Amino acid sequence: MQELEKYFNQLVNKYSEPLYWHVRTMVGSHEDADDLLQDIFTKAWKALPSFRGDSDVFTWLWRIATNETLSHLRKARVRAALSFTRIDDEAERVSDPDPYFDGNAAMKNLRKAIASLPDKQRMVFSMRYYEDLSYEQISGITGTSVGALKASYHIAYEKVKQLLLDSD
Amino acid sequence: MNKKLPYSVPPGYFDSLKSQLSGIPESKSRFSFVPYFALAVSFALLVMLGNFILTKSTASQPASDQEIIEYLIDSGTTLAQLESAVNNY
Repeated sequence: MQELEKYFNQLVNKYSEPLYWHVRTMVGSHEDADDLLQDIFTKAWKALPSFRGDSDVFTWLWRIATNETLSHLRKARVRAALSFTRIDDEAERVSDPDPYFDGNAAMKNLRKAIASLPDKQRMVFSMRYYEDLSYEQISGITGTSVGALKASYHIAYEKVKQLLLDSD
Repeated sequence: MNKKLPYSVPPGYFDSLKSQLSGIPESKSRFSFVPYFALAVSFALLVMLGNFILTKSTASQPASDQEIIEYLIDSGTTLAQLESAVNNY
């Protein structure tokens, strides 16, 4: 058990910061990312004894984080639908005044455009655009084929580009 | 498109995050009776409620003639007993 704890703490030290940014680029808000990090590492701790190293630890952790984040985004959309909030309003909420957002107007528009993408496109776009992950890495994390990921990214990129042009 | 991340975090955030996350193994290994107790209480309440509803619904509905006949047949009541019961009624 002590060995596991030691290993877990190594994972926390090495991956908590990059994982935070992985989640933050998808959810936008600092508070949401912070809450998700707790859930992600709690899940990782519970699953650690059964982690057999079939995939590398990076892929394993990013898979847990991506699934948790997608689940969070899905719930947020359902909550928005039940409270009759439009998707655009939800995107607006994400880009509302945030003390931990320090981008210019163009970056704010980009953030809003990303927030309006369907969850899976948002995920692929964030991993490619912000994290510079290869399609092979994203495929290992999500279990989606490289071809499908390329198509998703292309569609997301075009949508974001159009939204940015419209906002000018 | 500019690839710079437009986000920031509160000062010292990552240090406190690491410290919080490192506490997860300790907090998760502590055994707590609370969820088990809550589960037991919920189960007991459910049984009591079910019993109450069933008892009430059975007691409040009068048996139909058919049900009475079925009961009498099943309980082995004889015609003589029935006759005697009717005469004494």
